[in-house]
Amino acid sequence: MSRVKAIGIDVGSTTAKIVAVDENGEMIWRYIEPTDPRIEDQVDRFLEKLKEELSISDEELKKIPIVATGYGRKLVHQAKKKLTEITCHAKGVYKSLGHGGTLVDIGGQDSKVIVISNDGKVVDFTMNDKCAAGTGRFLENTAMRMKVPLDKMGELALSAPEEVKISSVCTVFAESEIISMIAHGVAVEPILKGLHRGLISRIVAMIRSVGLTPPLMLSGGVVKNPAVRKMLEEATGQKVILPEYPQFMGAYGAALIALESTKSEN
Amino acid sequence: MDILEKIPSRREVIESFKSTGGKIAAVYPYHYHRALFRAFDILPVEVWGPPGIDTTYGSSYLQPYVCSVVHSGLSFYLSGGLDVVDFIVVPHACDSLQGLGSVYIDFVKPKQPVFTIYIPRGRKDLDVEFLSKEFESIFNRLKELTGKSVTEDKLMEEILKEEEALKKVRELYSKREQISLSDYHFYRVVRSREYLPAEKFMEIADHLLENFSDGTEREGVPVIFSGLLPEPMEILEKLEEIDGRIVADDFACCGRRLYGEGKSNNPFVRMAESILNSPPDSSRGATVDERVEHLSSLVKKYGARGVVFYIVKFCEMELFYIPHMMRGLKERGIPSVYIEVDINDPLPDQTITRLEAFVEVL
Repeated sequence: MSRVKAIGIDVGSTTAKIVAVDENGEMIWRYIEPTDPRIEDQVDRFLEKLKEELSISDEELKKIPIVATGYGRKLVHQAKKKLTEITCHAKGVYKSLGHGGTLVDIGGQDSKVIVISNDGKVVDFTMNDKCAAGTGRFLENTAMRMKVPLDKMGELALSAPEEVKISSVCTVFAESEIISMIAHGVAVEPILKGLHRGLISRIVAMIRSVGLTPPLMLSGGVVKNPAVRKMLEEATGQKVILPEYPQFMGAYGAALIALESTKSEN
Repeated sequence: MDILEKIPSRREVIESFKSTGGKIAAVYPYHYHRALFRAFDILPVEVWGPPGIDTTYGSSYLQPYVCSVVHSGLSFYLSGGLDVVDFIVVPHACDSLQGLGSVYIDFVKPKQPVFTIYIPRGRKDLDVEFLSKEFESIFNRLKELTGKSVTEDKLMEEILKEEEALKKVRELYSKREQISLSDYHFYRVVRSREYLPAEKFMEIADHLLENFSDGTEREGVPVIFSGLLPEPMEILEKLEEIDGRIVADDFACCGRRLYGEGKSNNPFVRMAESILNSPPDSSRGATVDERVEHLSSLVKKYGARGVVFYIVKFCEMELFYIPHMMRGLKERGIPSVYIEVDINDPLPDQTITRLEAFVEVL
């Protein structure tokens, strides 16, 4: 009999994630890949992979509840329930770290700040507006423009002894500004540092709008960027805590909610 | 029968009204008195945008940071949408609308006469006196323009008719939970008051109350919406899909116009008393405390679990209040969320996600 008791799927704008949990809500399997425009097919592939790697039969899989979250959640027809990233991230992070606080999740297309109570409930939240500034896409775009590998961006930014001020944190205008700076002979590293500062200032404004309840926690793909974490600590004066699998918190939370639903049904 | 089938469109109403010799006044948001125009056989038809039109026409007169309601409103005129109307009325609800009034008078110079109405911010006797004089001067100008010798008795007759229609709106709101209609349908009915003659509106409201009040309790997470207007109206359908429902509102086009009745026997004073006896709102310079108190009382009265500030982008008069009001509500233990919209844009997924997350949290 399979150990998998619930599945969570987080279809983000950049990556799609799947998590399987056991009856205690422990994460026993996870998988991530870039989001495919054909989301239903991708989720089918995810489930095939899960079946194969954990030796689950079709019959068993049919009985496992699935909750979907993320930007593409509505297209996951395999899910019995669809919930927003706010609820799922809060759930996943609370279970992973065992306490509340202020969670910053910087995703590919949106960023959110969620205040989680000591009993794991969402007290307040805010999300970035429709523009891409303050999101992972902001860094992705500028990395591409500067021909810097995305995974090296943070390190390079931190290596700069000084930074230039990017006056605009609009993704489109920032690109023009970068081109102008490069044309004026400004080195790449200080520009990168300035860009990170711009992103962090957007995030800090969001944190202030809901009020910082320590500790400060971070999740989402941008966590892999060391400059984001360091600069966030500098800007808030708070140590930033990361869960073990920061990119999977949405899918994990979705799986936990799916698990709770089976328990309440039973 | 679908209640929407009973509601004629703005175009149908205008054509039908004009065919009987009546005239049309295009009225911008949002405080004015319908009776003032009806006394002259003029039907006020409100211009809340309309949403989804080409706003480039208005861009040559307005800054990009003027809200989409005003941008659309002027663009609608410039693209010929208001050719059918005989008068244009611009109440001073905010600086942008005051600016629109000036743009019309000083630059656009439409063929139709333009009326501006200054609504005082206070509620004192002096404010009533000022507004009654404002109404009286419009009344006198309409007399001149139409050549009709409308008496004050006739005006009072129209005022009483509008008061009856307003009572009907109140009844719809008070019985909202027993009316088995979606929020989308309910607001289509309530908002038809923006252009229907009082008598036609009451007919529809009566039909609704008689045929749709089956006592079935509505389901979904109860919330209150605050803002200018529920546009794009798709937001109401989305709210239902995510298991939410509006139990009361603080919309400029709806709840903020549940005026109290005037008491005076002087028709101008009575209209002024009524308009100034409206729930506290941003256009009237209400204090943050008054607005928080008003929303808190709605939350309590209707058992709402939270407040959605559904705000038109660049709506300065609303935006000044939002952080303070959210804080004020939070101090009272009432969660709220801020959502920004542009009435000309399709509803973005992020907006829906934000609303959905809020409903989940509640």
